[in-house]
Amino acid sequence: MKKALIKTLAGVTFAGLLAGTAQAQYPEKDLQGIIQWGAGGSTDTVMRSVTPHAEDILGRDVIMTNKTGGVGAIATKYVNAMKADGYTLLMGAENPQMYKVLGLADIDYGDMIPINVLARGTPIFVARNDAPFNTMKELVEYTKKHPGEIKTGSTGPGGLTSIVLAMLEAETHIDFTGVPYDGDGPALTALQGGAIDIMPAVLGAAIEHIKAGRMKVIGLVDTQSSPLLPDTAPITEEIPGFNKYLPWGPFFGVFVKKDTPAEAVEKLTAAYHEAAQNPDFKDLMDKRGFTIMNISGDEAAKFLDSYRSVSSWIVYDAGFAKHSPEEFGIKRPE
Amino acid sequence: MLEALQYFSMAWVSPQLLFLTALGTFLGIYVGAIPGLSVTMAVSILISFTFAWDINNALCLMVGVYMGGVYGGSRTAILLNIPGAPSAIATALDGFPMAQKGEAGRAIGLSTVMSVVGGFIGIFILAIAAPHISEFALTFQPRDYMMLGIMGIMLVGSLSGESLTKGIFAGAFGMLVGTVGLDPLTAEERFTFGAVELWNGINPVAVMIGMFGLSEALMQLHHLDKVALKQKLDRIIPAWADVRKYLSLSTQSSVLGTIIGALPGTGGDIAALMAYDHAKRVTKNPKVPFGKGAKEGLIAPESANNAAVGGAYIPMLTLGIPGDAVTAVFIGALFIHGLNPGPLLLTERPEMFWFTVGNLTLANIFVLIFGLTGIKLFARIVECPKGILIPLIFLLSIVGAYAINNSVADIWWMLGFGVLGYFMKLYGYQVGPVILGVILSRLVDENWRRAIISERGDLGEFFGQLFSSPLSIVLFSIITLVFVSQTPLWTQLKRCFKRPPRPDDSAHPGKSKDAAA
Repeated sequence: MKKALIKTLAGVTFAGLLAGTAQAQYPEKDLQGIIQWGAGGSTDTVMRSVTPHAEDILGRDVIMTNKTGGVGAIATKYVNAMKADGYTLLMGAENPQMYKVLGLADIDYGDMIPINVLARGTPIFVARNDAPFNTMKELVEYTKKHPGEIKTGSTGPGGLTSIVLAMLEAETHIDFTGVPYDGDGPALTALQGGAIDIMPAVLGAAIEHIKAGRMKVIGLVDTQSSPLLPDTAPITEEIPGFNKYLPWGPFFGVFVKKDTPAEAVEKLTAAYHEAAQNPDFKDLMDKRGFTIMNISGDEAAKFLDSYRSVSSWIVYDAGFAKHSPEEFGIKRPE
Repeated sequence: MLEALQYFSMAWVSPQLLFLTALGTFLGIYVGAIPGLSVTMAVSILISFTFAWDINNALCLMVGVYMGGVYGGSRTAILLNIPGAPSAIATALDGFPMAQKGEAGRAIGLSTVMSVVGGFIGIFILAIAAPHISEFALTFQPRDYMMLGIMGIMLVGSLSGESLTKGIFAGAFGMLVGTVGLDPLTAEERFTFGAVELWNGINPVAVMIGMFGLSEALMQLHHLDKVALKQKLDRIIPAWADVRKYLSLSTQSSVLGTIIGALPGTGGDIAALMAYDHAKRVTKNPKVPFGKGAKEGLIAPESANNAAVGGAYIPMLTLGIPGDAVTAVFIGALFIHGLNPGPLLLTERPEMFWFTVGNLTLANIFVLIFGLTGIKLFARIVECPKGILIPLIFLLSIVGAYAINNSVADIWWMLGFGVLGYFMKLYGYQVGPVILGVILSRLVDENWRRAIISERGDLGEFFGQLFSSPLSIVLFSIITLVFVSQTPLWTQLKRCFKRPPRPDDSAHPGKSKDAAA
């Protein structure tokens, strides 16, 4: 890694010499990284562990600030209000893709340039240990017999839990009581205390508790099984209707404002692309059950579009969208 | 056992770790003392800063900042009436009046020693009972959190000053301020009038700095010509007899603080406020009345907020569940350094537990050393001529408000609430209940709704649930008892009982006259 670093640095210096003194090279000052979520959360952890590697490559510091609130909309609007000079990065999760249909903001990642979509998480269903069901099928059967009795944690409209639950409800027509929490952390804590019975969460947030036997996993919301949960069948085997939504999952990415100079976009893309290949970062992502994506450019834009269209239509069909996806030209997924 | 001792002393015997812990504690005290700079912010900046370091070095520095920071908040609370952090709000209530009477040095000395006592008790409980306490903390249901919040709100009675009605009004206003922003449960806008800037709500720290610091500075403009009182600078380190006298109160507050700190939904701010209330209830005849510089009113919150540090580590180390915002950042730090903080941490990396306990103990000792040095210099700040002191408070308030979120809007909020606080004080309204309302509104709001949503909106079911667990029954009885003890009904009942006169009648804590309601 050191070698690669020296090579890159040498390359950058060389390129700098070639370019001569006509124009100052990007980046000529430190950068700002605006994190959408609070200190200690998943987004924060991911960004703080990948960015130092990118700093090494860029040769400048990226000063990271948490600007929380409005499911990330405050940070998104903030970055969008800055100059498009490539010195302010938005470090965020999947939420902005739902802003338009939920009426939270009139911008989303479609109005920004993706530098890197770093990784994707896998949603799972966990249940408290003494719950009278062990698989998704048993959960559905139980809930049909006892409508409204099962309490599930939720994390506000547009969040992972609301979307996964909307998928489940669309496929099985069952009736839950949703108890809102401020994030999957507090909800998983409540699950262990018995305040709720089931909870859709991202694998990484629950894996340690599952390994320790403090809760049980009843469903894996993916088309393939996960090496971290070898005994859990993918949900598509139990409820085939899920095939049309998957693979789907929360993601983390770095973005800049539209119309940022190409030179800055290229350098940032190259820096984050290499940083995401760092073994320390990969190891961290594996442990937390995230799938590394490390994509940028058109590939990233395509992924973001597909995420937006699946999620927007699910929430619209479930009835908690404020606007129809059609208003924004978001096509229904095939 | 021997192994545990070895891990415990790891930071004690390595000069490098020792130095980093000392440095962290020192930095923490000053970060904590500056309003607006929070420990959470400092620790998350340190994560990036110590990214490439060895994990033990990084942890030593961060633990030091945490321990020092929680203590440091009391400094400005006592000297300038600006709590450095929400957990020092209760400290200002009696600490600042002490400083105004020329006892700033003593107040700082006493708060330092009692913080350290509290810190040790919190660490001790962490060391011996962590698994049990964390299981207990998990049994708290939304309804129990709601009742904790209501118990906190009853503190309005202690903070109202001359008129309970005005106190209730101020508390209700605080709760209203606390509801501004996106609804935490449904993300609906509340009282935002369409402004995105209000989505995040009004920052409680900005309200706190304005209402305490700025409004106090404005009040002091009335007595510009009054010469500042000479501070008594002898006997800064409290006498052993004094410490012993208050040790029982400090221990009770610390145990309370540890448990509240261990609850995943509450932290040092609520711990300190509840300890203040507890002190007021158990102290029958304070030498100086509460709110006017009672030592008890300083000791209880200071013990409790430092004990809450040990408490917050309990669920974090045993279950990987953060006990407060700072331990949430610690969990992130452990991840980044390649550990798996979670329920298996204790079995996978048993050394982490004792290393942290050892670290906290060490940081706590450094709090005592750094806390007791330089007091004379700090106490002199209060002696500054008003012409220097008041602009200094203005400056500190503005910088502090900006530092919360690097946002100019927070400065405006701070100024607005400062002016409002000034007029409130002029007309006999206390500002304490407002802050109390702002801090507790979310706890009560969220958990009441969670509790009632869990019962599908059925009030009958909800009240039934209040009697479904021993914990809920206890909390509900405390609330009922405190409440009823303040109504005429209680006085009548008491009179009935009193007919055969019993001299030790007032020994029962629930009956005390100064109980909050």
